[in-house]
Amino acid sequence: MSLEQPRDAAAVERTLGDELETLLGDRVLGREEHVNAPGFVIRPGDVQDVLFRLRDEAGFDHLSCVTAQEYEDRYESIYHLKKYADPTQEVSVVVPTDKENPVSQSAEPVYRTADWHEREAYDLVGIKYEGHPDLRRILLPETWQGHPLSLDYDQDRPQVVPLREHANPLHEDHADEQDADTMYINVGPHHPATHGVLHLKCILDGEQVVDVESDIGYLHRCEEQMAQQGTYRYQIMPYPDRWDYISAGLLNEWAYARAAEDLADIDVPEYAQVVRTMGAELCRIAAHMLAVGTFALDVYGDFTAIFMYAIRDREKAQNILEDLTGQRLMFNYFRLGGVVWDLPEPREEFFEKIRDFLDDLPEALEEYHDLITGNEILQARTIDTGVLPPDVAKSYGATGPVARGSGIDYDLRRDDPYGYYDELDWDVAVEDGCDNFARLLVRLREVEESAKIIDQCVDLLEDWPEDERTIQSNVPRTLRPDDDKEIYRAVESAKGELGIYIRADGTDKPARFKIRSPCFSNLQTLPEMSNGEYVPDLIASLGSLDIVLGEVDR
Amino acid sequence: MVPLQAQGQGQAQAQPQLLPETLVDLLGLGGFGVLGEIVAALIAAFIVGNIMLTMTAVAGPWAKRKITAAFTDRIAVNRVGPFGLLIIVADAVRLLSKELIVPEGVDRPAWDLAPIVLPFSALLGFAVIPMGNGIQLADPETGLVFAFAVASIASLGVVMGGYASNNKYSLLGGLRAVAQNIAYEIPLIVTAASVVIFTGTLRMSEIVAAQSAPLFSVAGVTIPSWFAFVNPFAFALFLLANLAEIGRNPFDIPEAPTEIVAGYQTEYSSVYFVLFYLGEFLHIFLGGALIATLFLGGPAGPVLPGFVWFVIKIWAVFLFTQWARSAVPRFRIDQLIEIGWKGMLVLSFANLVLTAIIVGVIAA
Repeated sequence: MSLEQPRDAAAVERTLGDELETLLGDRVLGREEHVNAPGFVIRPGDVQDVLFRLRDEAGFDHLSCVTAQEYEDRYESIYHLKKYADPTQEVSVVVPTDKENPVSQSAEPVYRTADWHEREAYDLVGIKYEGHPDLRRILLPETWQGHPLSLDYDQDRPQVVPLREHANPLHEDHADEQDADTMYINVGPHHPATHGVLHLKCILDGEQVVDVESDIGYLHRCEEQMAQQGTYRYQIMPYPDRWDYISAGLLNEWAYARAAEDLADIDVPEYAQVVRTMGAELCRIAAHMLAVGTFALDVYGDFTAIFMYAIRDREKAQNILEDLTGQRLMFNYFRLGGVVWDLPEPREEFFEKIRDFLDDLPEALEEYHDLITGNEILQARTIDTGVLPPDVAKSYGATGPVARGSGIDYDLRRDDPYGYYDELDWDVAVEDGCDNFARLLVRLREVEESAKIIDQCVDLLEDWPEDERTIQSNVPRTLRPDDDKEIYRAVESAKGELGIYIRADGTDKPARFKIRSPCFSNLQTLPEMSNGEYVPDLIASLGSLDIVLGEVDR
Repeated sequence: MVPLQAQGQGQAQAQPQLLPETLVDLLGLGGFGVLGEIVAALIAAFIVGNIMLTMTAVAGPWAKRKITAAFTDRIAVNRVGPFGLLIIVADAVRLLSKELIVPEGVDRPAWDLAPIVLPFSALLGFAVIPMGNGIQLADPETGLVFAFAVASIASLGVVMGGYASNNKYSLLGGLRAVAQNIAYEIPLIVTAASVVIFTGTLRMSEIVAAQSAPLFSVAGVTIPSWFAFVNPFAFALFLLANLAEIGRNPFDIPEAPTEIVAGYQTEYSSVYFVLFYLGEFLHIFLGGALIATLFLGGPAGPVLPGFVWFVIKIWAVFLFTQWARSAVPRFRIDQLIEIGWKGMLVLSFANLVLTAIIVGVIAA
């Protein structure tokens, strides 16, 4: 199965590439073949024109990611495009820019999500985007000197920034001097409802939100650069656990595993895929439990029963994961080509534990529905607040429960299958409400679906013949993917589409490692949801986005 | 022990002795005239104030934690002393020994007065509450109005704190508190007025006495004519309006920890914070005392002494607020105001008119 598919996919890609080349005509300077998609090299001045065509005429409505990188002779921005209707149809738009004066046209008028992605590219690599509405640094402080992922960046240069050069967050009182009716208020970086270190610059008119701007980067840990300094085989895998650290570790590890395995043509034994699928879904349940608990916390406003119940049930999933991986949070369980070890012995006891968890789950969910979704006050608080229409969500590249709560039927587990998902019987939870309540419902329903998947995986694993339990395929000790091989691969993490772009340069370390964080794109929708609403709804919307700052800032 | 009915009738016939009067007799201060009465009144106020403060001390650091823990599958404090009770001492030492941070730019006299106004407005209210066994400081003809009037001063304290803190969160919290208190105080008082229609008096002791007659008997158990049984609708309204008045879930909007950090008390620390906290709990208990007096027959109850029953009743109300805190989400400020003005106010007036008609028909 895994041997047949890539060949077909490659053929499909080639025809897709030819069709698109006809569409774009002489704007195409050259073709590149990325492992996942055909790539078109275009001029920096043609970006909007090309992207408009691809969006409106070829249907590529999802700008998944923008990767920026510096070569010896040029800078390059890559726009990774997909279709919400069929994410297997991908195309990369490669925009090389001049080494001396790297200026490229901004994609922001085409896809709103390009706003933050291009700011990040500017911040870390140093490419400037013409026509960008607000090209500032995003992860690093305004006063930072140099662009850390550019080749000539001097890491030893001290970054001494006197306090007076920082913007004083206490200074501003109103939106502007003339407008005395509004009030400027900082929500965060230390605030009970920001789920980490997020800073929201809000302008309020009484209790209503006039404008909100997210200030991120407080938890930036140079994850991309750290991954670029590790070898493919072992040294990168521990990092993904630390992106979305809210127990979604295995889902993150899978993102790297999938990208690197496709890059280096590594097969994964079917048995390992089933184990991976089971572990990943356990992580999804744990992550969603926390999301539901903290969302309730934001709406209820105190450590209430529902929060503790959610933590209690999450604990059970964590115990199972601990049995499986030996860790409770930073699992480091996946390996390229499989998983690190087999299920714990005695297997019966382990399966029994999972079955008990799954048996108790419907009752627990019933309790949640009684306590939260069935509660009139919660409905009054969440229905029709934080509204995110589907077209806006698409323009911002929203994925995961945020997109599915807006009625976008998009789930990579089904639409771009990996692991063992396409062999199993489960549904994608979609709600049409577009509001905070819909996102809450999606998460609760996804827990049910994950339970279905785990149940089927346990059935499969119980009957798996003992001599066919291969947990890892043969992978060379040192992996050296071919020079200039590029890949962008995504998996469905708890928060949405977690993608990874890797460019190999013939060595055992990636030349560029770019993480597409779902929370990063989802957080961008916050102003759309909150402007014009009340402060409590801003907090509820933020909670319903379920962001993890470790993943937003990386 | 005097049977319930006899006790009630006794109270109705002759005015019960108030605590200061008892003290005058007990300490032999009768010979000192007015001076003796003042001394006795001060001692009595000291006793009542300390009873309430002790209850608050138990409620704040210990009972609240234990109750919430029971609702949320946890254990809570259990290491310091038996059942963790000594945490009260530990917490008191901890809170009082913290640094009192005075932020730059606070409006000094107002900022310092706010934490004093809040608990003392609640303590004043207890002056007219009959707590059973003759524990009542004063029994003026306008007792009920006095209790509501002094309890409302708390809003002033909250606004002072919110405005003087020079913090935007505090300001929002203070403004929310005023909007909320105005919206819910009117239904609260109008509902209480429906009880007054039954009793025909504002005097607390007479309101209690009016509830001592038996309503009906079921299988040998006599149900007294507590207004909670006579008019359960008014009771429910009052209970709800009281939750909003004291700012507990689902109406804890002035504090709203996840939205505006801690509202009006954001900038307060150490002793001032303790005073705020004390004030809040005293207000919960004052609300409980008013509910007990107006709807639950005051200190009346079988077997146990009246004061014990009184304490049980106000703790029952406290338990109710903690239950709501653990289980019910918070409203949004605009929804809260809407419920207050469009729902509670209409319902409470409907209740008042209906009660007036029924009482009028019975009287006719």
